[in-house]
Amino acid sequence: MVLPNLLKPEQMLTKIKQITGFLVLAGTIVSCSPKNISTRYYFQNKKTLDKIETSYKQLYQQAPFNVGFTDREFKTLSLEIITDTLSFIYEFSLHEPRLKDTLFAYHLNAPAIIELINQLHSIRCAWIDRSDYYVDEKKHSLIFMSIKPVALKRPFAYSKYYVLTYFEQPQYFDSQGRLLNKRKLNELRKINGEIFKRINNKVCYTISGKFR
Amino acid sequence: MKQLMLALFMLFYLSPDSFATVMQDTVTKGQVTSTPEQALAFLDKIKDLEKSTHWPNIKPRLFLKNLRTNIDEPINIYPGKGTNFCGYGALTYLFLQDDPLGYAQLLLDLYHHGKATFRKTVFDPSPAIKTEAGKLKFKGMLDINPAEQMWYLTLAGHYKGYLNIFNRKYDPGDEDRFWASVNYAKFNRMARNLLHYKLKSRGADLVRPKSLDLYAYISEKMAKGQVVLFINNRIVHKKDHVTIKLGVPTHFIVAEKISIQDDLITLMYWDYGRKTQMQLSNSFLKRIVFGITQFTKTGTDVN
Repeated sequence: MVLPNLLKPEQMLTKIKQITGFLVLAGTIVSCSPKNISTRYYFQNKKTLDKIETSYKQLYQQAPFNVGFTDREFKTLSLEIITDTLSFIYEFSLHEPRLKDTLFAYHLNAPAIIELINQLHSIRCAWIDRSDYYVDEKKHSLIFMSIKPVALKRPFAYSKYYVLTYFEQPQYFDSQGRLLNKRKLNELRKINGEIFKRINNKVCYTISGKFR
Repeated sequence: MKQLMLALFMLFYLSPDSFATVMQDTVTKGQVTSTPEQALAFLDKIKDLEKSTHWPNIKPRLFLKNLRTNIDEPINIYPGKGTNFCGYGALTYLFLQDDPLGYAQLLLDLYHHGKATFRKTVFDPSPAIKTEAGKLKFKGMLDINPAEQMWYLTLAGHYKGYLNIFNRKYDPGDEDRFWASVNYAKFNRMARNLLHYKLKSRGADLVRPKSLDLYAYISEKMAKGQVVLFINNRIVHKKDHVTIKLGVPTHFIVAEKISIQDDLITLMYWDYGRKTQMQLSNSFLKRIVFGITQFTKTGTDVN
């Protein structure tokens, strides 16, 4: 009769260490995965996110603009000021005095926009803009926000952004919670080529490799 | 990926060119081939446009409305969010400014007969393109502009370059893929075919124009005609925070105005339904510009 090879105590210890290491790594990957973060991020940060959306919408109505951070460190700001005839693109360092001067020069609400920018910076919001979309030839608009939460910065999830869309009207969704084009058509609506999922009737999310 | 690799290894002929250092900050457009008034008068004669059997998803009312808007305000033409139609858009922007009547006649010919001939070029779009035109969705304003959908799909289906080698037959969604891509030589070929301009191009798909005072060169070209720039839009219009980006051009813009002050260049350009103004350094301009095509009217100096 041949007995199975039993591990020696030190070999057993190494094996346990390896298994523990693997489980910790797997746990880290799963806990930081885009799927997991997307289900809770909005609700954890709802107050701040909704406040940003509301103030951006109000400021946009006064004078249209888009803003975001174009570098990994969130120190370089890209500002698009949209007028009837022309869009102006500017790049500033965060807290650069030139930013305030430029906002004043275009008669924008500089204090409110700077406060908004600080809020965007605090939650690592990479971009916010307003986009138009069409349903049955009618124009609608939505607010588009992409955030790079700290958890999404971990390994294996480097280039991902948590993208939120705020609609003006309640939207239609399929049984899996995916955003539909229209109620009657079982056709998914894509925004920037991405499929979005329901958070509530007017807010949807996706995880994307692009922030705009 | 294969297509990209192939593109990376295909270098194009860099045409030699001379340049002066005359500074000029606006575009000289020259004599036009036809006027918007002529084009609108032509459209006014159409009292009742019937649904085309060739283009089952194009609504005649929207089609005519789209033609009128484009002729009235070429600045508003919009090649669609997420598509690879920017090259066709830049071409159409110039076409509408120079020969709106030719544009209207060509598009109506295509609409009525399913094919059309313009300046010896025969456009005969595939059944898949005819079915798709009018159905494109989630592309912003292009969704409600069937004439533009028809035109961009027809151009992409007709003109082929090396980027289109592996995807030559249209399938729905191909407007966002290599099927619709435009390399620099293809853009210039389309422009020579369709527009009543003389062309002078400098640059290539993967090699930036070397030994050139780019600001002076572009200014000098704009002083004598329209100028289209082929640029690397990935670093101009960033969409992610990846620091190492492929140094390839992806976007066509029409230069409208250029000036310099204290080494800071102000560039105004047209793309995607609007004019944009940005400030950039000379070195950044050098990093982004891969091709410069000048369009001048016959009889004008193109040197």
